[in-house]
Amino acid sequence: MTNGGQVFLLDSPITAKREVARDMFVLAVRAPEIAASVRAGQFVNIGWFSGPLLRRPFSVYREDGENIEIILKAVGEGTSQLLAMKPGDRLSCLGPLGHGFGLEAGPRRAVLISGGLGVAPMPLAAGEATKLGIHVTWVHGARSSDELCTESQGHEVVWATDDGSKGFAGTAVAAAPDADVVLACGPNRMLAAVADRWPEARVAVETYMGCGTGVCLGCAVPLKRGGYDRACKEGPVYRAADIDWPSLPSHLPYAVTA
Amino acid sequence: MSDMAVAVGGVKLRGPVLAASGTFGYGTELPVLERRALAGMVSKGIFLRPREGTAPPRISETPSGMLNAIGLQGPGVDVLIRDYAPKWAEWDFPVFVNINGESALEYGEVAARLDGVPGVAGFEINISCPNVEQGGLYFGNDPRAAAAVTEAVRKRTSLPVWVKLTPMVSDIGVIARAVEAAGADALCAINTFVGMSIDLNAYQPRLSFRTGGLSGPAIRPLAVHLAHQAALAVRIPVIGIGGIMRAEDALEFLVAGCAAVQVGTATFVNPRAIAEVHDGIAAFLEAKRFTSLTDLPRYLPRD
Repeated sequence: MTNGGQVFLLDSPITAKREVARDMFVLAVRAPEIAASVRAGQFVNIGWFSGPLLRRPFSVYREDGENIEIILKAVGEGTSQLLAMKPGDRLSCLGPLGHGFGLEAGPRRAVLISGGLGVAPMPLAAGEATKLGIHVTWVHGARSSDELCTESQGHEVVWATDDGSKGFAGTAVAAAPDADVVLACGPNRMLAAVADRWPEARVAVETYMGCGTGVCLGCAVPLKRGGYDRACKEGPVYRAADIDWPSLPSHLPYAVTA
Repeated sequence: MSDMAVAVGGVKLRGPVLAASGTFGYGTELPVLERRALAGMVSKGIFLRPREGTAPPRISETPSGMLNAIGLQGPGVDVLIRDYAPKWAEWDFPVFVNINGESALEYGEVAARLDGVPGVAGFEINISCPNVEQGGLYFGNDPRAAAAVTEAVRKRTSLPVWVKLTPMVSDIGVIARAVEAAGADALCAINTFVGMSIDLNAYQPRLSFRTGGLSGPAIRPLAVHLAHQAALAVRIPVIGIGGIMRAEDALEFLVAGCAAVQVGTATFVNPRAIAEVHDGIAAFLEAKRFTSLTDLPRYLPRD
């Protein structure tokens, strides 16, 4: 999978904020160097003055050449502080980090499956796939329609809700058709279901993260072949069949996708 | 410019700020690093053989700190020699290897294997890791065991031998003196405190190992005190460690009697932390008109 490119440490002002679903927000920050080089599935590690000790990792949601966007909910003290900030407030952005989906030309049809905040890497993934001439079917699910981020960026999206209040009544995984390439991001339990159905799927996992740069070994991902590697460095995107899913914690207060 | 060079435990360093073990990998990972200010680094802890480390979750944030239980995941000494030492041999700062064992014999064996390998400048004996079932802390809170491990390493190498102490003792001076008498060239004080944090949704500890090592600014005043006590107890240099985020924090350790410092958790937050600490110390010395770091007043009232 791709990357290994240059990492930037930027002092980035917040440039915009919008609500995209109930309690779910997009923050845009000015980070031209990251916007120019980020690939789908990569993340930024964000810190701020008077914030908690550790940075918080976020998949890059969109970029416009000048700004990058992240998507988040208030799930803890850190994300609450971030959502209390206003345009002009400054964030320290370290990125782009990790290995993304690594899309390359070749496959004819790709299915993108996202759940909840797992929508985060999909706009970039859909854009990259389309540019490579890959036909994209994007399936996005949430518990209910008010929790569903319905920004489609012009792509055709199949909506799925657990309560049937919008689109397919059931999970995004159940709503997804087969394809040559499957990309997925969402809660780890959803990704485990993806792994059952498509062992070759490329999935972006969520883990606790300390440094985001490969030195603390805190974001251990248990592997089927034994041992662990680092979500921040070898991941966060993995071949679904490579992960020892029962050993990967599934409830995290903050994560790459949160 | 004030002279920032220091002599510590058998080596001359170009500055007083080193990278702490477990926070800097093998020195090859970090992006946006400024190596010019790095006086040296201590590698991630290594055992004779590869270790998988503990199951996740491995880290948990706490007020002004973090708990970690990585369990000394590492590739073993052979891979270290093959993959990393050749790179270290080309760098312009010394690399110390943090060595571990389940017995005094294993510590000695690791040191013997690394002794003379180009790129290895010396050793930091880890008798203070709280996150391994065998060894680690066990050796660090008993003066005889601490001395035995130090002796076992001392016998197998002519390189500088530093010993990283645990704060989980009732009198750090007792351990410090035992290790000094056993031939250590310097002490590193301190490793993490053992801590625990509970997940109220799961009714169980947040870390799979149950406990973890607490690091970060939360432990700094405790660390300054313990490093000071160690410095009072011995004649060999003490390298201060514990929650250093800024130059002022490092200067506290230096004034409290330390010859140098290691920066750890701060690197997770800011990959440029070491350079900023180094530059801040230099600016302090300039502002106070000290021509050399060795002129910095030390508070070490011995009886």
